[in-house]
Amino acid sequence: MRLGRLASTIAIHIRGKDLPTYTPSVDMGAFVIVVNAEKIAVTGKKRYQKLYRRHSGRPGGMKVETFDQLQQRIPERIVEHAVRGMLPKGRLGRRLFTKLKVYKGPEHPHAAQKPVPLPISDKRIMLDK
Amino acid sequence: MTRVKRGSVARKYRKNILDFASGFRGAHSRLFRTATQQKQKALTRAYVDRKNKKRTLRRLWIARINAVARRYGSTHSGLIHDFYKNRVLLNCKILAQVATLDAYSFLKIIEEVNEKKS
Repeated sequence: MRLGRLASTIAIHIRGKDLPTYTPSVDMGAFVIVVNAEKIAVTGKKRYQKLYRRHSGRPGGMKVETFDQLQQRIPERIVEHAVRGMLPKGRLGRRLFTKLKVYKGPEHPHAAQKPVPLPISDKRIMLDK
Repeated sequence: MTRVKRGSVARKYRKNILDFASGFRGAHSRLFRTATQQKQKALTRAYVDRKNKKRTLRRLWIARINAVARRYGSTHSGLIHDFYKNRVLLNCKILAQVATLDAYSFLKIIEEVNEKKS
């Protein structure tokens, strides 16, 4: 599954834009659980060329990692980073981000909430498969 | 000119403005001079927002219609196009309320339009 396409559908469901009761000022979207986060793919040479940057706030404190390295280190962060960029910024956006749960591997601790598989109606993703 | 005492005129003027500003935060509801400024701002913003309200509500309706349309395989723009072509002109955006409250009727409308298309 491709990174951006997945993140885009996740963000739509978290925000609640697929529901007829959509209200932009209210947190009424769904929780989304992502498993097998280490299997996310990117096309082309992005695996070795896409950079993730972070800055510690001190001068000279910029750290750069490639997609590859980050995937080996903390694969959940890749999906989180992608989805966070697609959610609104601001207080509500940060709250929406807490509705995303990402896990490496196929297990997740939320069986008690009886999750349903996410209905994907994005043509690009359907064509991919 | 006869002598004029100012009496309670000033007090009434100030009270008028402070009553308008009741409920404002902090000094804006207590001090006369700041309250005057805030009253002015509030009135200006109310004027502008009465016009903005029409725009924002329409945006909300369109987003909701889009959500329902995409669930059933089309898009807001496609749906509106079909509605206009088949003379379902009755559908002012407020009838996005139909989509929210009475999903079944909304589906019936969509089905009818699809039949007329084919």
